[in-house]
Amino acid sequence: MKNLHGILFAYSSNIRLKELTEHRTASSMPYGSRYRVVDFMLSNMVNAGIPDIGVIMRENYQSLLDHLGSGKDWDLSRKRGGLKLLPPFAYAGGRRDAATYRGKLEALYAITSYISHIRQGTVVLADGDLIVNLPLDDIYERHIETGADITCVCLDREPGYESEAYLRIDKKKRVAEVLLSQLDENTVPCIGVYFLSKKLLEKILADCAAHSHVVFTRDVLQRMQGQLNIMAYIHEGFSSRPQSVADYFKQSMALLKPEVRKDLFSRTRPIRTKVRDEASTYYAPESRVKRSVVADGCVIKGDLENCIVFRGVEVEEGARLKNCILMQDTHIERDVDLSFAITDKEVVVTRGRALKGHESYPIAISKGSVV
Amino acid sequence: MKKEIIAMLLAGGQGSRLYVLTTHVAKPAVPFGGKFKLIDFPLSNCANSGIDTVGVLTQYQPHELNAYIGSGQPWDLDRLDGGVHILPPYIKGKAGTWYKGTANAIFQNIAFIENYDPEYVLILGGDHIYKMDYAKMLEQHKLEQADCTIAVLEVSLDEASRMGIMNADESGRIYEFEEKPAKPKSTLASMGIYIFTWSKLKDYLLADESDAKSKNDFGGNIIPKMLADGQKMMIHRFSGYWRDVGTIDSLWEANMDMLSGAEINLSSPSWRIYARNPISPPHYVGDNATVSHSLITEGCEVYGGVFNSVLFNDVTVEQGAFVEYSIIMPGAVVERGAMVKYAIIAENARIKSGAKIGAPPDDFADNPDDWGVAVIASGVTIGEGKTVGAREMADADLI
Repeated sequence: MKNLHGILFAYSSNIRLKELTEHRTASSMPYGSRYRVVDFMLSNMVNAGIPDIGVIMRENYQSLLDHLGSGKDWDLSRKRGGLKLLPPFAYAGGRRDAATYRGKLEALYAITSYISHIRQGTVVLADGDLIVNLPLDDIYERHIETGADITCVCLDREPGYESEAYLRIDKKKRVAEVLLSQLDENTVPCIGVYFLSKKLLEKILADCAAHSHVVFTRDVLQRMQGQLNIMAYIHEGFSSRPQSVADYFKQSMALLKPEVRKDLFSRTRPIRTKVRDEASTYYAPESRVKRSVVADGCVIKGDLENCIVFRGVEVEEGARLKNCILMQDTHIERDVDLSFAITDKEVVVTRGRALKGHESYPIAISKGSVV
Repeated sequence: MKKEIIAMLLAGGQGSRLYVLTTHVAKPAVPFGGKFKLIDFPLSNCANSGIDTVGVLTQYQPHELNAYIGSGQPWDLDRLDGGVHILPPYIKGKAGTWYKGTANAIFQNIAFIENYDPEYVLILGGDHIYKMDYAKMLEQHKLEQADCTIAVLEVSLDEASRMGIMNADESGRIYEFEEKPAKPKSTLASMGIYIFTWSKLKDYLLADESDAKSKNDFGGNIIPKMLADGQKMMIHRFSGYWRDVGTIDSLWEANMDMLSGAEINLSSPSWRIYARNPISPPHYVGDNATVSHSLITEGCEVYGGVFNSVLFNDVTVEQGAFVEYSIIMPGAVVERGAMVKYAIIAENARIKSGAKIGAPPDDFADNPDDWGVAVIASGVTIGEGKTVGAREMADADLI
């Protein structure tokens, strides 16, 4: 059994995601035709052979609970270990009414007793709102080999990538400086995946509790950089954490590129999700479809170009959809004309309606709306 | 714990008329309709009818079927009490034989059935495509206080002469059973779905087993014997889509029926057909692809033309490839410029560029009997520019 434990932070939200996180956290946002964002990190952990995974949630987690269930779709419904959902305890400190944790350390304090029962020696802390296919087992081996106190997963210098921390590293990938915003281009952005031993984690938590430190990047990586051996691991594949509606749109459209699909949906490290038992998607003779990613259970009678289509979507005759994201059970009636639009779950766009957004400002239509 | 009814699913059939498609798998494990295997239909019908205990009798090439059924979780049949059980033949003391016939298969599992002390036993086949509420049939069986109820379907006179025909009076009581009658007296065909009152069936199974001349078959021995003895045997009328997919042509045709979706809806939420899901990403339809009147599912990458076809998971149709009126099973690849017409391409087969598989029936207008669906067996590679004609089967690489 892998001596590695997974903790997922699934409470975060981002107000710039607006309609997309009205009813859910960023981790439970639909992405890529048939997934929730959390499926990626969860599958990464399962694919690495991690037997036990804790998911920290705070508010708005109904959709996440419904999605994860007992964890059986990830093979995590186990008698010993498996998936543990960690909603806030009613008595978790004085900030009961707060919508979110102020930082990862605060989130981890709330599960101190869970952490003390972890049966593995090393813990990987990862953000649940991260869209990436990571070889966590390789990174774990590297972490052990290098004898690092903390290993941070980073991207190769990617200007414009919004991150919680930027690292200045030496040739051996040892972290020399930790910055909380990008100062220059000679740093690598952290994607929010950290390896450390259970022992160190407990020590850090005790120390930070005493000093009422709450932010992992600032209060651990930056403040303790001098005392700890912090290493970076550079991941070279696709990685994304949607920051706004326009960014979500852009990151979704990236799936139209074969190399992104190949990387994200690697055959050796498949992404698992909740099974919905849909039949295949039917394409009618009058449909015209180009450059589109489509899930099961759809009936397509209209035209699609550059679209991401989720499960159970229906597109009627004469509808023309270009650069659109249609989430689960969207119904597009006849002769609808849509471009640069995101329809959330169960949206109905009635006959003949036309809506046009722009790449820089895609229109997001809230869950269950009728246009 | 006592169960009112349990189902016994006969899945041991070799399916020899499916030829190369069943060389390595039992017939109930043959893929169907883009996402399913044949056995998903009776298993899902059981789950949807509220039958939570199912014995699956396997014998021929059972490995894939066993792995597929697993704990029964996809059909919600992973139960603490009951659930799905694989029942292969086994050694009993010094004796023990293969299942000699359908009735013998049930006979050999009397002990399994008695564990649940059921009032009724439902006998099912594993190779028919239909949606049926067995609970309604059971209700009728109980109301009529029948000893045996047989599901029947109205068929054409022509079909009737190829099936088992039930002749029943106005009340629905069967007075005669004819196997493939030359001159059918009625057009009510048996669907191979029986509900027996267990105590009665058990008596007949025991008697049948001690009859050395018996072929230990339900249709051939048990049913005629019960009729002759005047047991109360009733028909249960079923109307709706039902297909026997025992031959290449019928398997191909039934898959084509799934395209219209008119007769049987595979995605209706009220009566879903469940299947074990592969873990594959959404499918992709590329730049120069044309997809028309076709079913496409997870993991497929379509860059060529797909017309009137059923693609299973993880199929690739490369640019300039052309697929029509065909069934492409999981993992198969149709390379650039290959033509696949009226064909069944089995799992992981590879049709290399420029190869030609099958032909439309129009090409055989003068001698229509020479036409048939072309079949490529699983894992077989058809080399560049090679041809496999209509009605031909390739069960080895052609390079």
